[in-house]
Amino acid sequence: MQYLINGLPIGAIYALVALGYSLIYASAGVLNWSQGDMVMLGAYIGYSLHRIAGWNFILSLLCSMISVAVVGAAVKRTVLSTLRARSAPPINVVIGTLGVAIICRNIALGVWGPDAQPFPSPVGSSPIQIGNLRIVGQDTLIVLTGIGLMLLLQYFLKFTREGKALRAVAQDRMAAALMGIDPELSDTLAFATSAAMGAAAGILIAPLFFVTFNMGAGIGLKGFVAAVVGGLGNIPGAIAGGFFLGIIESVAGGRISSGYRDAISFAVLIVVLWLRPSGLFSRTVEDKV
Amino acid sequence: MDVSAFRMRRARWCAVVSVLVVPFIVPNSYYLHLINLIGIQTLVVIGLNILSGYTGQISMGQAGYFAVGTYTSSLLMMRLGLSFWVSSIAAAIASVACGIVIAIPALRLSGPYLVMATVGFGEIIRLVLVNWVPVTRGAAGLTGIPAPSLVSIPIVSERGFYYLILATVSAGVFIAVRLSRSKIGRTFAAIREDELAAESMGVPVDIYKVAAFAISAAYAGVAGAIYGSFAGVASPDNFTFDDSVAFLCMSVVGGNRSVWGALVGTVALTFFSEALRFLQSYRLILYGVILLSTAIFMPQGLSGLGPLAGAWLSRCAHSRGGRGRLWRGGEKRGA
Repeated sequence: MQYLINGLPIGAIYALVALGYSLIYASAGVLNWSQGDMVMLGAYIGYSLHRIAGWNFILSLLCSMISVAVVGAAVKRTVLSTLRARSAPPINVVIGTLGVAIICRNIALGVWGPDAQPFPSPVGSSPIQIGNLRIVGQDTLIVLTGIGLMLLLQYFLKFTREGKALRAVAQDRMAAALMGIDPELSDTLAFATSAAMGAAAGILIAPLFFVTFNMGAGIGLKGFVAAVVGGLGNIPGAIAGGFFLGIIESVAGGRISSGYRDAISFAVLIVVLWLRPSGLFSRTVEDKV
Repeated sequence: MDVSAFRMRRARWCAVVSVLVVPFIVPNSYYLHLINLIGIQTLVVIGLNILSGYTGQISMGQAGYFAVGTYTSSLLMMRLGLSFWVSSIAAAIASVACGIVIAIPALRLSGPYLVMATVGFGEIIRLVLVNWVPVTRGAAGLTGIPAPSLVSIPIVSERGFYYLILATVSAGVFIAVRLSRSKIGRTFAAIREDELAAESMGVPVDIYKVAAFAISAAYAGVAGAIYGSFAGVASPDNFTFDDSVAFLCMSVVGGNRSVWGALVGTVALTFFSEALRFLQSYRLILYGVILLSTAIFMPQGLSGLGPLAGAWLSRCAHSRGGRGRLWRGGEKRGA
């Protein structure tokens, strides 16, 4: 039970990042390999506002999400649109966004330096004892904020005009375009929203680890894995995949072996994919000629 | 034999001779070391091109096979005292076995799902190397990996390794080129272009996919065996996810549909990142810009520029009345 509780915060982080991958894949049909570095940028901007400029936590979180969303939209407008215009194969999108990731990472290295920066938790770090479970304030903050953001995203997708447009594009790009929806705009929106989700994940996880220029690589990879296991393009799947991965890691690390933790979770995920080739939570559709 | 065929043959001999004398004309051993590393990486990337370029199965776990090759051959030499040649064959067999194991779940996967499975494979191998301390010595890695010896003459110098690597890469290129023109190569391409169509024409798609994984693993395994002896040391840090990604970048930047693309991509990225060292911390930003602009402006990779440049050069040559086909591959690889 304790392992389950411990898995939730990291699972929420993975879920936020996974949502980014899935949202972009649903709308634009591409893999955005710079998602992890949006997490890193979010953490650094939050760090600068909260720790250096002394803003309060909520305001820093919002500002960081907005500015990283602008970066995400810029990536779509400059990189993806150009790649699209040249009808590049999917692998080129991966390599192109990987180039963006490397650029972001090294600009961050130049701006904030190579040292890991501490980011103390805004809610303190003393654990609360409930029965025989120990719950840490920061973990609770992560889970609650994470779930709040996921609900906000659901609201955006289900009840706003732009959100509905995005879902229409995800379902059938051509038909949506014929109905007067601009699919390019909805791609930009997907990139911006994903980047904002990533930024929030970055600020939330910063108190657990330090803020470093290469923190994006690991989290980005885990988020991608969570999105794939949940079924890419499937929003509830991404959330479930994130928590699933977080809990597996926590159980594998606590119960079996901490050194082999990631190896065990990867092995479990490969077996999951073998049994359900398009993810745990999506309906399998046979290819037709 | 007309004039152009004669020129072709002469150009080929010139190329062979210049490749053979390279170790005697490069200014210092650092560059030769770099060239040797490029050769080893080229082998891995040729294997990756067979898998991802020919057959259309993207792999982001190539460093895993590379690691299996290095550790298998090094440990056999160090613990059992086997010779380099026996150990490197064993390394290739071990890598092929891993390739077949990962091919089984991969048969049902495509696109991002396949990427995830191969990433997972690479990470599992690396974590096993870190944690299986009694055998692999964990994060500290292996030191003092023995050098190969040819009829009791040990190959230790950069020059010696140059010829060993040259021979292996030549064999690798030869096999890959022959393969791409054979029935197997055409079947791989059919699977890449349309798996369902290939299957409905009676192609046993699964067997060919497993074969593609096995072949690419064999290339990486042999490269790994040479790398272990060449570097003399190996640790799990040499085989990270970033290394797998670097192999993929070389493959795509060079052009993953051709054997020469592997060579071009490896040479280009290695030399770029060495030549840009003077920029220090800005180097990697520029590296990112190079990746980005190759992806955008050269969808076929750098080697895709070859036929264009060849056509341009031959137009120039024609206008001067000559019949030069300066770029060797241009007229041979029509498809």
